[in-house]
Amino acid sequence: MKYSVLFITVLLIAAALIAGCTQQAPAKEIKVGVIASLTGPASNVGKNMWQSAQVAADEINAKGGVSLKDGSKVPLKLIVGDDESTQQGGQKAATQLITGDKVDILVGGYSSAVTSAYEQTVAEYKIPFVVTGASSPIITHRTDIDTSYVFHHCPTTDTYGQYTTTFIDQVVRPAVNKKLGAAADRPFRLALIYQDTAFGKGVQTAVNETITKNKLNIQLVSQQSFKMGESDFRTPLTAIKAANPDAVYIAAFPNEGAPLITQARRDIGLDTIFLSVENNDNAQFYKDFGQYGEGSIIESRFSPYTAPVGALADAQGKFKNSYNAKYGVFPDMMGASTYEGIYIAAQAIGNAGTTDKAAVRQALVDLNMPQVIEAMKGGTISFSKDFRESRFDLWMEQLAFNQTIGECRPNIVWPDNLKVVDFVLPSWYKPGSA
Amino acid sequence: MVDFGILLQIVFWGVYAGCIYILLATGLNLIFGVMKIVNFAHGEFLMIGAYITATIFFITGINPYAIILLSMLALIAIGAVVERLCFRPILGTGKLNEIFLSIGLIYIIQNGAAIIWGDKWQSIKSPYQEISVPVGPLNIPIDYIIIMVVTTAILCGLYLFLKRTRTGREMRATSQNRKGAMLVGINVERIDILSFGIGCAIAAAAGTLWVVSGQVFNPYMGSIPAIKAFAIIILGGLGSIPGAIIGGLLYGIAENGAAYYFGGIWKDAISFIILIIVLVIRPTGLFGESGD
Repeated sequence: MKYSVLFITVLLIAAALIAGCTQQAPAKEIKVGVIASLTGPASNVGKNMWQSAQVAADEINAKGGVSLKDGSKVPLKLIVGDDESTQQGGQKAATQLITGDKVDILVGGYSSAVTSAYEQTVAEYKIPFVVTGASSPIITHRTDIDTSYVFHHCPTTDTYGQYTTTFIDQVVRPAVNKKLGAAADRPFRLALIYQDTAFGKGVQTAVNETITKNKLNIQLVSQQSFKMGESDFRTPLTAIKAANPDAVYIAAFPNEGAPLITQARRDIGLDTIFLSVENNDNAQFYKDFGQYGEGSIIESRFSPYTAPVGALADAQGKFKNSYNAKYGVFPDMMGASTYEGIYIAAQAIGNAGTTDKAAVRQALVDLNMPQVIEAMKGGTISFSKDFRESRFDLWMEQLAFNQTIGECRPNIVWPDNLKVVDFVLPSWYKPGSA
Repeated sequence: MVDFGILLQIVFWGVYAGCIYILLATGLNLIFGVMKIVNFAHGEFLMIGAYITATIFFITGINPYAIILLSMLALIAIGAVVERLCFRPILGTGKLNEIFLSIGLIYIIQNGAAIIWGDKWQSIKSPYQEISVPVGPLNIPIDYIIIMVVTTAILCGLYLFLKRTRTGREMRATSQNRKGAMLVGINVERIDILSFGIGCAIAAAAGTLWVVSGQVFNPYMGSIPAIKAFAIIILGGLGSIPGAIIGGLLYGIAENGAAYYFGGIWKDAISFIILIIVLVIRPTGLFGESGD
């Protein structure tokens, strides 16, 4: 009898222990993997992304975290993965975050070439991934792997390539014609210089397609490429100067764009309008080219030094101040979208009420949340049904040199509903000729 | 038909790029010639030279061309320490040890620089950036002319040092026959330290000129130029300083020509295409002697 009681007691304890082991414990924290380039050529942008993610997580956690189905509020725990600005580094970081740290969701990814290299791992493990930096449309358009868990929260090269080309056609072309006293049908001579990667080629494709599709009176007089990380652009710029362009569109990272414009103006004597892609709207970019940036254009959606008038200006100001208070510098655009990426991840997990990957993915598909700090189409963040891309409201800035601080500062010149000043051709501007 | 002015401009940019390559390759060749070691971390000394120049410039505002001397002196000291602590213990133990040691040094120096100076891209502005001079059909910023003059001066100085001084002659003797040099009483370990230090100092000069020309720099900037410097010394002939000069100029001009005619992506590839062609035709390189 004594032994029977002991046996049953042991059995009950064992059963209780087994039940305890198999029952899923409620999540104590939500693990968010942030993939950023903390080292290597893109580290300037990567650090900004990682630090912005931390600002967002701190704000969310200060309010108690994310509410789950069981009524609990769970804080976010960010884990960073350094892609080292290389494809191999990206693969290593993604694998560690997914299989080692077992994150619930991924946010970040900068270079399109790097990000697309580890998408295979994301697809294999079916981890929801909010991409906030890589801008090539291939990120969600590619068909060689399953990208259904990847959501694109930054404008693609298609979007901003088309936007900038339209600006050239509607604003720069008439201004040049006016300066020359030329007929309205004079073809605009545009040169393109692009990084020879998915990102740069994406811009090249977008510009070419926009011109063809909309039958724009723009002639591409020179298309030059350079390898990622290049710092000497004098020869391709010599080729561009020989083609006599009216303007030069640059698809480059900030560490390439600033020396490129400096070398063009200083060394080559290319006194023209330079149009840069949005990722160049970065404090270091303004610092690097000094007065040589005067008159140039940046397509943007978030700037360290300006904001469109309205409610978003306050939200952006709050983010910039929080970031500046914590890190002593201003955040950049990729930081802004990564900051929002953390809010998107939190909202999706909150909507799903669980960290189950499939449920979070569905919550991202169904997402419809108010814009955070960047202007979105319709004022809300949602992802398109076809390629899971969010849609941004963009603007164009023209830079003016500020003698006091020794750097250029941007003013919004387009579209009309956001512009602060009119676009002007600088006095030193030399139009091209056939 | 390419316009003569454009062709001249491309050649000019090629010569400018060649100046940086020549300095880097000459330093590497001096070290290889004397010690016969393969140092893949040589580009990191260019990077340190760049940062020393920028740091002194940011703090004092001294003309960056004047800082070149300070930068070179600092790198002589740093090079001597690296030789003494890292390369001397493994000298003669096999090429694999040298290769892995220098690869390890790349990571240590890069990360050390990132800790000290941060890993953001930086740039400085030359005091002469607004000045250009007309040269034939070209309007050349004076900085590039100064860079070419400084490179020539450094090479002439090195030539005189090697030919006219006792230490220089000892260095050449060690380079030609290490055992023979020891037998006639030359302190080859002292020569090793000196040649490593001078090689690093010349790399530092390349770093200073890189920075002054307005190119951006960060802790990872040295790797690609170092690979090219290796290709140049193989092309010119291992241990041959005239070979490094001709090879550097050839690479600079070929790279810029390829970028103009075939696009920027061919810029690096053309260097190695030339290297393969030269090695197939003349395996010892342009100025190398058999047995190197």
